[in-house]
Amino acid sequence: MKFFAFHLMPWDRLPADFAQRHASAWTWIPNALYDPAHGGTLYNRYLDELVLADRLGFDGVCVNEHHQNAYGLMPSPNLMGAILARQTRNVKIAVIGNALPLYNPPTRVAEEFAMIDVISGGRLIAGMVVGGGPEYFSFSVNPTFARSMFSEAFDLILRAWTEPGPFEHYGQHWKLRYVNPWPRPLQQPHPPIWIPGAGSKETIDFVAQRRFGYMGIPYFHLDFFQRNFDMFRDACNRAGYTASPEQLGWLLPIYCAETDEQAWNEYEPHLRYFIDNLLQGLVVLPPGYTSARSVAAIGKALDKFMSAAKTRQELERGGYVVVGSPATVRDRLSELIPRLGVGNLLGLFQMGTLPHELTCRSMTIFAEQVIPGLRNL
Amino acid sequence: MPSQSSIIEVAGRKIQLTQGGQGAPLLYLHSAAGETDWTAFHEQLSRRYHVYLPAHPGFAVSGGLESIHDIQDLAWHTIDLIASLGCSRLSIVGFSLGGWLAAEVAILRPALVEKLMLVSSAGIRLPDVRSPDIFLDDREMLRRVLFHDPDGELARNFIPQSAQDERMLLWIRAREASARVAWNPYFHNPKLPGHLRRIQAPTMLLWGRQDQVFPLALGEAFRKGIPDCQLKILENCGHMLPFEKPDDFVRHCQEFFD
Repeated sequence: MKFFAFHLMPWDRLPADFAQRHASAWTWIPNALYDPAHGGTLYNRYLDELVLADRLGFDGVCVNEHHQNAYGLMPSPNLMGAILARQTRNVKIAVIGNALPLYNPPTRVAEEFAMIDVISGGRLIAGMVVGGGPEYFSFSVNPTFARSMFSEAFDLILRAWTEPGPFEHYGQHWKLRYVNPWPRPLQQPHPPIWIPGAGSKETIDFVAQRRFGYMGIPYFHLDFFQRNFDMFRDACNRAGYTASPEQLGWLLPIYCAETDEQAWNEYEPHLRYFIDNLLQGLVVLPPGYTSARSVAAIGKALDKFMSAAKTRQELERGGYVVVGSPATVRDRLSELIPRLGVGNLLGLFQMGTLPHELTCRSMTIFAEQVIPGLRNL
Repeated sequence: MPSQSSIIEVAGRKIQLTQGGQGAPLLYLHSAAGETDWTAFHEQLSRRYHVYLPAHPGFAVSGGLESIHDIQDLAWHTIDLIASLGCSRLSIVGFSLGGWLAAEVAILRPALVEKLMLVSSAGIRLPDVRSPDIFLDDREMLRRVLFHDPDGELARNFIPQSAQDERMLLWIRAREASARVAWNPYFHNPKLPGHLRRIQAPTMLLWGRQDQVFPLALGEAFRKGIPDCQLKILENCGHMLPFEKPDDFVRHCQEFFD
């Protein structure tokens, strides 16, 4: 079992009446609310938390990409990956991922990922995503081409890593006379590839057929993860092999303190800030972003979304979060990890307004008192 | 006059075509809302004209969206469609997205168009004219910007309101097919104004005074660009002109196309 520390790097200073005044923390959220001086402090603090994960013996750290929002302040996760390549020693650096249709030309991803890989001594995990719905508004990229752009860019990046350059690429979306990236990645034939997904069958089949890693994105009910991971294993069977647990990752908000009561009391207001403010506007489905039938299905599945859980009990029972004493967290995870059949746990330790000291203490308790009991699952 | 719906093949695409009436051919090009059902105003028009109401690729049950990449592809498709109707020349009325499409067709094949009517038409952007983003999945906002009377029965029933509404799947398909050609640039072709001079057909522009989606200033811009052109303005009317003022719409069609 492998343990990763995932960071969203959220904005923690939205005004108290934010949710009353704004429908969304995405795309249209006034950037006057961003304070650059505090922003600088925040980036450095959040990076310290990921550096701490390295010292605590986590297997890896994770960063991701979002634009024009307060939910996650990493428009360029590759910049964070580059810093972490220098500031950490042992952890895998999982950039999950780059939203390929937003890179023009997408060979930039092949280049920047290769830079992180060589600088870090081969510690990169290369994540590639279609990008969230809001991103298509933020970048004015046509969402009806999201899947075909992703697929063309993905194939191009893999080819750029594995086929001697220069070569030509003439696709539907990009026409490149000379593809010949310097540097090439250190890990051969290429860094491990993880693809986060929210349960769309298109993505699950794509990842399963190519034997990459599938990371279930959070904030959905446990049943939803179970269904998606089962779908993934079925897709692997259909592709002629048995899925390995290492191919599956479960992204989960986790908080540890000495007792259950203390953990919930410390955690809940910060989690509430996250749910009430930052989650608003995350689920946006621009036209054509996914098939019409999937759009209709997602619309009906939203009762299985974290925002629908109002109480501690609902949050716990739905598996939206795991919160408590080391024993409680260990017991709950040793029940759920085998049930879901995942080989990677991506713990989201900092949430919403959770301060640095509490984040670091929770991570430390988790590393010292929870991970050892789960290693051999 | 009963209408008939069928699936015809247009250059390899399966296209839903509804038609009815007798008289000179009149092609109705629908908007982003995907109004492909035969409605009362189609019925009224069909008393004087043979009305053709095709669903653009990706709308209703029409296929072929995968090979439509921009408005020109859609215009060439429409030119193919006209050929497959056996028409060498016909009049076109286009509403909103359909107006933009009609203008593109009339630019590419000026001799094909007998007379041209553009209603609340997309196609042009003016730097000082703000228009709402109708691709936002905010059906409450849409109701307010589409209709002059957003609280009337027409506006309340026009847009499917819940996932349970049986029209929802077609609505989602209509949004996708519209976004394919109109996401970016948003409902316009920056090159269109420079080509409007190529339109040869006598043209009527019909606009609602209170159109918020493509405001009247865009109608003025079309009028300046198209050589033989008049602009008629309907008072107390928003963007959804054929639905908000069906009688005026039909009357203007008859006066113009007769």
